[in-house]
Amino acid sequence: MKRNFVGYVVLAIALFLIALLRPYAFFYGVQRGSLYGLVALPLALILGIVGLLNLAHGEFLTLSLYMTYLLFTKWGMDPLVSPAVTVPLLLAFGFVVYKLVIERSLKTHHLNLLLLTFGVSIVMVESLNIWWTSRPRNIYVPYASTSVNIFGVYVGGYEFLYTIAVVLVLTGLLLFLKKTRLGQATYAVGQNPKGAAIVGINVKFVYAFVFSLAAGLVALAGALLSVRSSIFPQAGGPFTMKSFSLTAMAGLGNLPGIVLAGIVLGIAEEFVKSIPGYTGWADLVFFVVLIAAIVFRAFGRREG
Amino acid sequence: MKRLFVVLMALVVALGFASTIKIGAVLPLSDITGRQAANAMKLAVKEINEAGGVLGMPVELFIVDDEMKPEKGAAAIDRLATVEKVDFFVGGMSSGVHLAQIPILKKYQKITVWIGAASYRCEEAIGPDADWYFHLHPWDYLQGESYAHGWRAITQKYPQVKIEKIFIAYEEGAFGTSSFKSYQDEFELAKKGTGVWAGLMKDLKGAPFKSAALGGGDYRAVLMQAKQYNPDLFIWAGYDADAIPILIQAKEIGFAPKLFVGAPPGWPADFGKNPLSHGVILYGMWAPALKDVSPIARHFWDAYVKEFNEEPATYFAPLGYTNIMFLIEGIKKAGSLDKDAIIKALREIEYDSPVGGVLKISPSRIIKNQGFRAQKILQWQNGVQHVIWPFEYQTAELIYPFPGWTGK
Repeated sequence: MKRNFVGYVVLAIALFLIALLRPYAFFYGVQRGSLYGLVALPLALILGIVGLLNLAHGEFLTLSLYMTYLLFTKWGMDPLVSPAVTVPLLLAFGFVVYKLVIERSLKTHHLNLLLLTFGVSIVMVESLNIWWTSRPRNIYVPYASTSVNIFGVYVGGYEFLYTIAVVLVLTGLLLFLKKTRLGQATYAVGQNPKGAAIVGINVKFVYAFVFSLAAGLVALAGALLSVRSSIFPQAGGPFTMKSFSLTAMAGLGNLPGIVLAGIVLGIAEEFVKSIPGYTGWADLVFFVVLIAAIVFRAFGRREG
Repeated sequence: MKRLFVVLMALVVALGFASTIKIGAVLPLSDITGRQAANAMKLAVKEINEAGGVLGMPVELFIVDDEMKPEKGAAAIDRLATVEKVDFFVGGMSSGVHLAQIPILKKYQKITVWIGAASYRCEEAIGPDADWYFHLHPWDYLQGESYAHGWRAITQKYPQVKIEKIFIAYEEGAFGTSSFKSYQDEFELAKKGTGVWAGLMKDLKGAPFKSAALGGGDYRAVLMQAKQYNPDLFIWAGYDADAIPILIQAKEIGFAPKLFVGAPPGWPADFGKNPLSHGVILYGMWAPALKDVSPIARHFWDAYVKEFNEEPATYFAPLGYTNIMFLIEGIKKAGSLDKDAIIKALREIEYDSPVGGVLKISPSRIIKNQGFRAQKILQWQNGVQHVIWPFEYQTAELIYPFPGWTGK
């Protein structure tokens, strides 16, 4: 406990110093970290709470980017409004993937699920490639490149929406898991599916619901990201790795930890990038911080 | 009787093999550059065959996808040589893939006319002795040199343009780092008063970024460094996926250098329709506007659109067409399939290319057979890519300084 407290104090001091010395890196880090957290939360929900692996997580994000693009170009729908359409659509898509792929492998070895979802990711990437080609698409809305003044520091304002969204999604998920019967059932299924079935919980429904919900939440992240990112078949792929990393760093099932981990990693990345001559070290720092956090937690657990 | 039939069949098959000129192409077909280059090659082969083939024989084209993976690209060469038994190798895009292909190409030593792989590392790997190897795409250092020639000409024509401080934001992979290294080498020469940038480039700085194509996409730290440096010429060397996000983030931090240059191999769909694109300068071998000033570029454009019902979107389309046409012109001039005669002919011919310019072989730093040596300086103006330099192909006047972000 004491070690954890010391760790958090050291972390807080480090973040404060970065905010003082490199305010741009701090704000940009918070923004990027919030995005990482926003994309990782749905993965953490299905992996950490009910124990489902989904290697096509990033491709779900890509699909939502294309959906948002389509709504914007064909019907002029603002990307910030598009979740009204894309969230239900991706929710339904998640349900279909669950019924076709996930449900059939629930009682088999975890490796099967890993391979199957890897296959889903390949099918999705190649399908998007055939349909849309590899050529990037973009959505341009002027509000996505506006700046705000924070204590005399001009930073991009749009990406603070990631921070607002991640707080809202986290709060919503925590309320769902702790305050609703379905949420409690989700925990129960994650901890002991056979026991949950014995006490009358519809385990298959819980799995299907949580998997679909995660897909729907990815659509929300996709809508927000769509105006800042290029849209191409591989656009979402790298987020799978980042999301798994955050889940590993925070610990399975620790949803608030995902957001904190995302922000810490985001700030670490941006801090390194802000140092002339060391910009290319950001990835290295990302994984050094990740490994350090996992080792720190492992020691803490052993002492506990 | 049966034996005679078998012998006759064998003769027919043998004659059949001998009566086709087989060209093997290796391209990344899932990428638009490779797909359109492949289309353009098919178009060239179709035109050649409709005109009666070459040396009285039809041309057969075999295209293998390298999937942008070095191991697949190397295996494709082996397959084309041993299964399809091609006479010539063409194609190419990625330098990384080509580095893996070079040892295999050296094994077969067939005449190879390559349109991709700009990295100097590929030239080093090929070495000075491969007289069967023709490289059409300008090497990265040749591109750097040609930009210097272009900017020097532009500063002379437009005296208000100044190119003293240059900042390069480059993607951290092989493409970006080799581009930056070329500039660094030229800067070292310029400091000594030699080289093509002498008297033009007074200071150079650069910083890497992770391309959106490889999981990056946050350029603000690099753009902030560039803004603090306040360059006369800002260049980003990345991929098409970086093009719009870099502009959005430059607008966000208020960074509007006098010359905003992008140097990706291709541009995203509808880049020109984005209001932020107006005034952005690009380096390229080709622009669609060339069809208004070059008859061969017009012919290629019309034929491609008619055949594939889409517009050529990257320079790899006219380059793919050039790839086949140049090789066939060489075979025609040689008058036979003799390897030495074709090599000699390819070194002598001058081919007016739809890329814009006459293709003529001359030595580069290491290899003997280098084709194009220069890129063009283009500018997006109201959604259209215009040629600014070379002035003989100019389709619009330079907009200077970069209009910035007001009202966008």
